[in-house]
Amino acid sequence: MRNVFLILLVLPFANVSHATMRMGEWGMVMNENVKELPQGCTNIAGVKEITIKAGREYAKEFPGTIFGYSQHEFVLPKCTQINVKFINEDNIRHQFMIHGLPTYLHPQGMFHMELYAKGETQGSFITPAADATYLAHCDVAQHMEKGMKAQVVVGDGSGDLPSVPGISGQLNKDSYGIDMSAGNISLSLVLLLLGLSSCLFFFIWRKK
Amino acid sequence: MKKFSVLGLVLSAVVLSATALFLYDPSILYSKFYEYTGMPSYVKAPDPLPKAELTKEKMCDEQYPEWRKNYTIGGVDIQASDACNPDNPYEVAAFVLGTNNVIMPVLMRTQLSDDSVVKTDDLDGDGDPDNIVIRVEVAELNGRSPDEEGFIPSYQIAPGIKPGAWVFAPKSRGMSTINRDNLNANHLLRLPSAPIRVEAGDNVTLILENTHYFPHTIHLHGVDHTYEGNDGVPQTSEKMAMPGEQHVYKIKPRHAGTMLYHCHVQVHVHMMMGLQGLFIVEENKPNNWVQTFNVGAGKVRKPSVGVLADYEQEYDMHYQAIDTSLNNLIQTSNDPRQLAKRMNRLYDITDGTDDYFLLNGRSFPYTLRESLITVEPNQHTKMRILNGTAEVLALHTHGHKATITSYDGVDVNPVAQITRDVYSVSPAQRIDLDLFTQNDGLHSYGEGVWLMHDHAERAITSDGIAPGGNVSQIVYRKYLNKNAMASTMGEDLSAYFTPEYYRGEVPSWTNADAFGFFDDVGGKTVDSYKDVLLLIVLGMLLGVLFLLLNALYSFLHATSIKIKDRSSR
Repeated sequence: MRNVFLILLVLPFANVSHATMRMGEWGMVMNENVKELPQGCTNIAGVKEITIKAGREYAKEFPGTIFGYSQHEFVLPKCTQINVKFINEDNIRHQFMIHGLPTYLHPQGMFHMELYAKGETQGSFITPAADATYLAHCDVAQHMEKGMKAQVVVGDGSGDLPSVPGISGQLNKDSYGIDMSAGNISLSLVLLLLGLSSCLFFFIWRKK
Repeated sequence: MKKFSVLGLVLSAVVLSATALFLYDPSILYSKFYEYTGMPSYVKAPDPLPKAELTKEKMCDEQYPEWRKNYTIGGVDIQASDACNPDNPYEVAAFVLGTNNVIMPVLMRTQLSDDSVVKTDDLDGDGDPDNIVIRVEVAELNGRSPDEEGFIPSYQIAPGIKPGAWVFAPKSRGMSTINRDNLNANHLLRLPSAPIRVEAGDNVTLILENTHYFPHTIHLHGVDHTYEGNDGVPQTSEKMAMPGEQHVYKIKPRHAGTMLYHCHVQVHVHMMMGLQGLFIVEENKPNNWVQTFNVGAGKVRKPSVGVLADYEQEYDMHYQAIDTSLNNLIQTSNDPRQLAKRMNRLYDITDGTDDYFLLNGRSFPYTLRESLITVEPNQHTKMRILNGTAEVLALHTHGHKATITSYDGVDVNPVAQITRDVYSVSPAQRIDLDLFTQNDGLHSYGEGVWLMHDHAERAITSDGIAPGGNVSQIVYRKYLNKNAMASTMGEDLSAYFTPEYYRGEVPSWTNADAFGFFDDVGGKTVDSYKDVLLLIVLGMLLGVLFLLLNALYSFLHATSIKIKDRSSR
C-alpha cells in the first residue's frame, strides 16, 4: 500500500496531458484548438494575443458586483488564432470559459481555462468565420451573476448579451428605492411639474 | 314626481332583496319556515372537480446504478450502497487516498480539483498519512440570476421546492451546473455541507477558500483546536475571509468524536442558510485511511478502522430546517448590498418560523432516494446524528430502540448508556446511536420497513403538507426492490413525487381513494328553477340600484346648477 501511495503521489505532478486537456495542481485548460480550421476559414488569418485578469479588484467599478474581469468585452477578428493569457489575482478558484463555439472544434462548444489559485496560464482557440457574440464567464457558483461575465465579439458580433458589466442591462431587474437627496427630489419635482404644466397648457390653448 | 319615483325605487329594492333572500334560504327570513311547509327538497351536492394532472417523476431517478456495488479502487475497499443515487465510488477513493494520490483516470471520473484533499507523510509510521490538507469552498444554491427568473445553480429538496441555501463544499473544478443548458447544480454542490472526517493526531490544514460573495469563517465546534486564528469567531480569534480570500485553519485534534463545523459570521443567518456540517474525528488506528468528505452525508462507504471494529456500517445523518423568509431572500435581488441589509438587519429570526425540514439535504420523498438506512438482522449500525435546526429534535425510530453511545463526541459510560425510541437532540448537539437489529422485542421488533423521523409534528411536513419533512425509513434489505426503494404494503407513493402535491393541489388520499370520497369539491351550478329565479331577481336588484345611483347624480347635478345660478345673480 505505501509503495503504491508513493508512486501515485508523483503522477499528478507530471502534468498529465489529455488530447485537448492540460491539468495539474495549478488548474486546467480544456478544449484548446490551434490546429483545426473552423468551417468557412481558408487559413488562419493571423494571431492575436489577449490578456484577461480575474479578481474582486475589477468589481470596484461596477456597484453591486463582487467579482470581475479586467475587461468585459473582447472584439476579435474572424479566423484568427487567439492566444489567451488568463491571470487570477484572487486567492480562490476562477475560470474563463467561452461557450457556444462550434462543437466540432470544442466538445460541448466550450473553451475552458481554470486557475485553482493566484497565478496565470495560457490557452488558444481559433475564432470561427461567422459574426457572432459568445458568452465568456466564470462558472464557480454565482460568480457570473456577481460580475464575472464578458462577451467575445467575433467580427460584427450578433448583438449584446444581457447583464454584462458596463455593457448591457439586466433582464431580471433588481429594484431600488429612490434617492431622497434634495437635488434628486427637486429634479424629479421639476420634471413632474413640466409634464403637468404642458398638459394644462394644451387644455387651456384648446379651449381658446 | 321625482320624489315619487325615488320612493318607488327604494321600495322595489327592499322587495327584491327580500325575494332574493327567500329564494336563497327562506329560514333566514323566518326560522320556523320549514315547520309549516315541510322539509326542503333534496339538492345534490356539487360534483367533484376532475382529478389534478400530475407531473410524476420516477421514484428512483437513478443515474449510475452500477455505483451501488462494492468497489476496490486504488486498494481502497468501498462498501456497497443501497441508495437510489449512491456516492461516486471513484470520488470516495479520491477522498480516502487524497486527490494527490490517485491516478489521473480516477481523478477524471470525479469533479474534484487536484488540490482539494492532499494527504502526505506517514509521521508515526502506522501506515496512514498524517499531514492532511483539506480545501473547502462556499457555494450558493438556488440563487438569483440577473438574466432569467429561474434559480442558479438549481437544487431541489423535494419535488418543485427550491429554497435558497449556502454550503461548504469540497474544492471542485469545472462548471457549477451540469452544463450550460441544464442549470441544476453539479453533484458536489448540495445540502448539507459535506461531513469532514480526519484522524485524531493528524496535522490538519483546513483551508477555507471563500468563493462566495459574503464574508465567512469556520468555527470548529467541539473539535480540539488552538485559539489564535483557529476559532472562527470574527469578534475574537481572527478576521473574516472576505470574498476572494482564504483562511487557513491548522489543527491537531487529540480527542475523537462526532463534532461540527459552521460559519461564525452573522451566525443566526449563515448557519441557518446551511453553512454547517458534521466534523468527525476518528480514533487513531494503524492503516486508518479515513474518508475525508462524505458528500451529501448518508452512508459512509469507507468507515474508519475504529468504527468497523464495532459496527458493520455507518451513517451520517444531518438534520436541518429552512425558514423561507430568510433563505429565499437571496432570490430577491442580485445586489449583495441589498441582500446584506435584508438578511442581517431586516430579517428577524425571533419572528421566524421553519417551513422545510431536511435530512441530509432533502425532504420526503427525496429522502427515500438517498437516506434509507438499510440493515440486515443482528447488525450493529452506527449513526452519527447532528441537529442543525434551531429547535430540539425529537428523533423517533419505529420498531427499534437504539442506544446512545456518545453525546457531543464524548462516549457515555457503557453502564450509563440509555436505550430509547425518542432521542432528544438540542440545537448543534450530536449523538452517536448504536442501532442493533436483534429481534428481541427491545432493540428491534423484527424485519420490516420502519419509519425514522423527528416527532415534532411540524417536521414531518413540507410547509405544512404531509408526508414531507425529514421522514426516512429503516429498511431491512429483504424488503428492498431492484429500484432501490422499499417494497411496502402501504399506499402508492407516486403522488408524492409531484410538485403539485407539495403545492397543495392534490387531495392527500388521492391514490387510495377509488370512490373519490375525498376529492376536491366543485362549485354550485345553476340547476333548479329557484337558482334561475334568484339570479334574475339579483339582476333586477342591480338595475334598481343603478337607477337609484342615477337619481342621486341628477339630484346633485341640479343642486350644483341652482347654487351656481344663485351666485351669478
